[in-house]
Amino acid sequence: MATISLKNVSKKWAGFTGVDALSLDIADGEFLVLLGPSGCGKTTTMRMIAGLETISDGEIWIGDRVVNTLEPKDRDIAMVFQSYGLYPTMSVYENIRFPLRVRKVPRETHHERVMRAAAMVELGDFLERRPAALSGGQRQRVALARAIVRQPTVFLMDEPLSNLDAKLRVSTRAQIKNLHHELKTTTIYVTHDQIEAMTLADRVVVMNRGIVQQVGTPMQIYDRPANTFVAGFIGSPAMNLIEGDIRSGVFTATNMRVEGLAGMPDGPVTLGFRAEDAGVADRGGQISAPVYSMELLGDASMVTVQCGKALAAVKTPKDFRIAIGAPVGITVPASICHFFDARSGHRIEHPGKD
Amino acid sequence: MSVLTAKTSPWMRGAAIGFITLWLLMAAFPFVWTLWGSFKVQGDFFSRQDWLNALYGVQTLAETGSSFTGRGYYGAWVEREFWRSVINTGIVTGFVVVISLTFGTLGGYALSRSTARYAFWILIAALIFRAMPHITLLSGYLLPFFQLGVWGYLSTAIIVLVAINQPFTIWMLNSFFQTIPKDLDESAMVDGCSRFQAFRLVIIPVMWPGVITTGLFSFLLAYNDFAVTAVLLSQENQTMVPKIASFMGSTQVQGNVMFAVSAVVSATVPLFILVLFFQRHIVSGLTAGAVKG
Amino acid sequence: MPHRTFIAFILPSALAMLIFIALPIVSVVVQSLFIEHERVMVTAENCGPFGCKKESHVDEAATAELRRDQPLGRFNGLGTYLDRKHLAAKEVREAFAEASGPIDFLTRVGSLPLYKALGFTLAYTFVVTPLVLILGFMIALAVNALPYFVKGPVIFASLLPMIITPLIGSLILFWMIDANGIIGASLQALFNDPDLSLKASPTLTWITLMVYGVWHSAPFAFVVFYAGLQTLPHDTLESAMIDGANRFERIRFVVLPHLMPLAIFVGLIQLMDNFRVFEPIVGFNAGASATSLSYAIYTDLRSTGAPLFGSAAATSMLTIIGICILMAPVLVRTWRDFKRRH
Ligand SMILES: Nc1ncnc2c1ncn2[C@@H]1O[C@H](COP(=O)(O)OP(=O)(O)OP(=O)(O)O)[C@@H](O)[C@H]1O
Ligand SMILES: [Mg+2]
Repeated sequence: MATISLKNVSKKWAGFTGVDALSLDIADGEFLVLLGPSGCGKTTTMRMIAGLETISDGEIWIGDRVVNTLEPKDRDIAMVFQSYGLYPTMSVYENIRFPLRVRKVPRETHHERVMRAAAMVELGDFLERRPAALSGGQRQRVALARAIVRQPTVFLMDEPLSNLDAKLRVSTRAQIKNLHHELKTTTIYVTHDQIEAMTLADRVVVMNRGIVQQVGTPMQIYDRPANTFVAGFIGSPAMNLIEGDIRSGVFTATNMRVEGLAGMPDGPVTLGFRAEDAGVADRGGQISAPVYSMELLGDASMVTVQCGKALAAVKTPKDFRIAIGAPVGITVPASICHFFDARSGHRIEHPGKD
Repeated sequence: MSVLTAKTSPWMRGAAIGFITLWLLMAAFPFVWTLWGSFKVQGDFFSRQDWLNALYGVQTLAETGSSFTGRGYYGAWVEREFWRSVINTGIVTGFVVVISLTFGTLGGYALSRSTARYAFWILIAALIFRAMPHITLLSGYLLPFFQLGVWGYLSTAIIVLVAINQPFTIWMLNSFFQTIPKDLDESAMVDGCSRFQAFRLVIIPVMWPGVITTGLFSFLLAYNDFAVTAVLLSQENQTMVPKIASFMGSTQVQGNVMFAVSAVVSATVPLFILVLFFQRHIVSGLTAGAVKG
Repeated sequence: MPHRTFIAFILPSALAMLIFIALPIVSVVVQSLFIEHERVMVTAENCGPFGCKKESHVDEAATAELRRDQPLGRFNGLGTYLDRKHLAAKEVREAFAEASGPIDFLTRVGSLPLYKALGFTLAYTFVVTPLVLILGFMIALAVNALPYFVKGPVIFASLLPMIITPLIGSLILFWMIDANGIIGASLQALFNDPDLSLKASPTLTWITLMVYGVWHSAPFAFVVFYAGLQTLPHDTLESAMIDGANRFERIRFVVLPHLMPLAIFVGLIQLMDNFRVFEPIVGFNAGASATSLSYAIYTDLRSTGAPLFGSAAATSMLTIIGICILMAPVLVRTWRDFKRRH
């Protein structure tokens, strides 16, 4: 087990920066999730840690060694590839055993370890098959078993659940969580599924275009997004973001007026609030506008209104009904509001809140 | 392919079958004819009276008392010691194929996995080398080889043929290895292999379709070569093709041309067997990505 | 891949190409600047009963020694390139001055050895290459339409002309077109002309060589196209069908773009291979009416007595320059593609 630190790590291809000056300290035994939209550099970061991609700039430390020029095999890691990387000519059993074989683990222990790993991901019935005769989900579980058959100092998992069906995904997610609890191995996990990120992570790293946007616990990321990108990416639905102006403690935008913001500087600002924090008002409310759309989600209903160019969604009890076009008032008290600099998008703390 | 043949009119189909029959006749008939003729005497195979004699073997019957004769074969193999050339060709071809593929798979693999700029330049250089007529290089070898005293030996011809064969080999194998997902060797390296171990344990087991196709082309190059072997080998080390050409030098002698004909047939047999066994691989190996270069 | 690992993997292959392809080119360049020693002559006064006569004769021993000491010969600069056997600067200039018209000029230049060889090489390359592509494609289409069980034998027979040793293949055809061979005799009967010989007339020889070239190479184009037809992108074809493309449009927009890279691949290989045409000329014994650049080098190297290294090297250099010019469009295109991707 080991800590990992990235110090100003960059990856540049001719004329294109995949990862830009990334710095990160990962504690021993931590479960860290890299989260971000497609193409933001998650896989690239992970491949640099694994040693599969050369580092253009910066340093990577695993434990107390700089590993920049170390070969992948000498970094003592295990990795689950986004596209499995199974060996087509070997059976499932041999695939799982492979790391033990090449790392010269004593032969006597192989069988027991392979069987244990296979049992953990429920692969017992497929051990004699070749990868080509497995479904996508089964292949992904072989890749998982191959990673956990050995006790490496670091686990790297690149979207290991992307090809599982919804049910299997939930159960495998739980298995991974449990596995981490048992083994306490430092784990870096890539996903663009927020629920996975929220449920698994000790800490989440949100990335966009190769740049780290925020690092924090799932709650921190959810409750105090560091900028409009994180606010607009995390949560389902994402945070409502409305551009407007503050003048002497009052925020105004089309159809919207929020008071009680004493202490906030005057000027243009972006206001954010979460759909589940707001509610429909019996009378008045900070937003009053005609209903733009109304969606039934099963456990709740979602009412959307327009505030200028922006759409604002509000979660209401599941039996709430209203006609599209009917006027509605929405309560957005100052206490649930987040503020972001209108230009840079950075969070502005407002003194009135907690 | 249904897209190409669906709803073809019978007329079109007839034309296609006629065309293919004609082509097959052109492709195969010369071999059948020469095989048949190799068991006749010269007077029949090159009959002054009537080419039908070659079918019936009129002269052959008159000269040998039977309508088939193995005289040409006896003359070539025993009198003119064609068997020596056969052994030499076996040695040259075997070594060229094995060494070419060993060098070529290593090089082609490295090229397919490298993202560096020099990999591109190596491929371009290989393309230019592939384009140069072999014989232009020969004029470069000859004088230095005489000076170094390495002219005439089989090993010299082998290493030269390997080198001449490298550009094509690494091109073919480079494009073939590109169709093998990078994840495969990368996961092996994470699992604890060095680059070379990953190549040995994970890539070698899956590379045979591409290697067999490339190997076939290497075989043909070495086996069929005339320019290099004719110029670089001494008389006693001659391989089959230059040996056959040397039969031609003395065709005026009655009967000698039949030595050449029988030698030609003998030299063609291994090629037939080769295609018979590897026909599938030629098509499937080319399909498996080798032609995408 | 780290540079060290890359070098370790590529080294055997790179060394082989460096020592046996790149270095020989240097050796060719050097040799082309030298020419064989003239024979050492000695003049001796030979006095007999009828007075003294000056006689000169070759001093064999001295000549051999000179050749041994300086195997390269003596320095000749670009002399070899410009002599009558190569670029023939003087003769071309004369032809230009004296020629009555462009046709006459071309005939005069065309009879100079190098230009004659170049003429045949280019004609062969640019006639055979397109014919090979067309014939190969037609065979591929026809074979593809055949029922499954005959495909195997048909492919087998179709591959034969490709795998056959070029020299042997041309010998086989050469024997058949012999005036006493099956084709030669049949043609004589057909045209009722007992003197008709495919070997005698230069035009007929050229045609024979080209027919041989097409026969030999068409199978290669055929297998590549056939392999390509087996990998047609079926989902793209089906989505094109759903998008409403008719059969012609599907071929035009899906099949041809899929086969285009293959056609370029075959065309390129054919260009290279046909430009080096050599064995058929030996096999058909056609050196008198058709010489190619490769054949010219071969005759220099095998010339009776001492090989003409300088002359062969100069022709080799000119040949290499020629193929580079032919390949230039391809190289430029590859370079552009590469720049776009990086
Ligand atoms: N070899 C390469 N050369 C140039 N650019 C590359 C290369 N590999 C990746 N990239 C680019 O780097 C960026 C980051 O890629 P990466 O694979 O890390 O994305 P990702 O976050 O894993 O996305 P996804 O969620 O879709 O897997 C992408 O824009 C990609 O196009
Ligand atoms: Mg990825």
